[in-house]
Amino acid sequence: MAEKHRMIIPGIQRLVPDVCDFVESIALRANLNDRAVYHCQMAVDEACTNIIEHGFRNSDTPGHIEITCQDEPDRYQITIVDDSPPFNPLLQENPDPATPLTDREPGGWGIFFIKKMMDEVSYTLENGRNKLTMVKLKTPENVREPIPALPDEQNSMIREYPGGIWGVAPSGRLDSNTAPALQNLLEEQLASGHINLLIDMSEVSYISTSGLKALVNAWRSAQGKGGRVVLAGMRAQIYEVFETVGFDQIFDIFATPEEALHHLKNQTA
Amino acid sequence: MEIKTSELKRVTLLEISGRIDSTNANELGEALNAAIDSGRTQIVLDLANVDYMSSAGLRELVSALKKVKRGTGDLRLASVSGRVLEVLELAGLDTIFEIYPTQVEAVGSF
Repeated sequence: MAEKHRMIIPGIQRLVPDVCDFVESIALRANLNDRAVYHCQMAVDEACTNIIEHGFRNSDTPGHIEITCQDEPDRYQITIVDDSPPFNPLLQENPDPATPLTDREPGGWGIFFIKKMMDEVSYTLENGRNKLTMVKLKTPENVREPIPALPDEQNSMIREYPGGIWGVAPSGRLDSNTAPALQNLLEEQLASGHINLLIDMSEVSYISTSGLKALVNAWRSAQGKGGRVVLAGMRAQIYEVFETVGFDQIFDIFATPEEALHHLKNQTA
Repeated sequence: MEIKTSELKRVTLLEISGRIDSTNANELGEALNAAIDSGRTQIVLDLANVDYMSSAGLRELVSALKKVKRGTGDLRLASVSGRVLEVLELAGLDTIFEIYPTQVEAVGSF
């Protein structure tokens, strides 16, 4: 959905950096990358500076400049409206970058930068007010690269210990994306007669209620079959979650898989 | 924006940090003119800590370059960030100014 933000300033040069900050903050939220944000900032700076230096030059009190930023799905649009005398800056002749130093005027580059840095620029006279519209398209070269998604595959290592005990070692995040896979895997193990399970939690970095549920379901299922599910090697932050929900009272939890194995052997012997 | 001016043996070094825009570009112009007016026309401008420069900054650079080039002086740039370099390139100034990767190289070039 399109989002519109508006800022109005009196035409005073020292306020222009505030406009730049405003445009920058919304451009960042619109997911433009640093280079595109820089271009937007510079285009707005040059446009406002021109209005103040030329448009309001002959007024006793400076008029107002209204800046609107619009975040659309395919574009980031900046509109600048001012009430200085009608003037279309886009009609100004472009300076030539190949001009040698001796023939160069120091100024006159502002509008050129706006045209070069923005993807679309247009001018209209609306109700007697100047309206400059500048667009940065959300093309791949202008937007931030998406953060690579975490792998949502649940990889669990399965191994057999002596004494009819099976070990399952899930890794990564146990959340609503990954918990169903773990639950299926645990059920498969239990269904195939591996009713004494040692779950090595040392590679689990995060657990949500979905992850907890998968473990409790396996625990209950094992109980029903006369087996046991024990946990080992939990990281401190994971153990804290178990404590918070009281699951440390349900499960037998061991510091290391070796300790868990020792316990299970004694229980099943 | 902050400007630190150092007088080296053959070169006046101006180290700038912060934004250069139309609210403060005149300060940069004044610092450059102060050096030029006192006869120091071999100048290095270190832009390593300049993260933003609008056309108002370019205007001062071009004015100062024209002045020092009237004699045997030069205004050379050092450590220009990627964003500022893009602006210089768009205006065709990357071929008009001598630009060095580091301050040491720019100072040593005189």
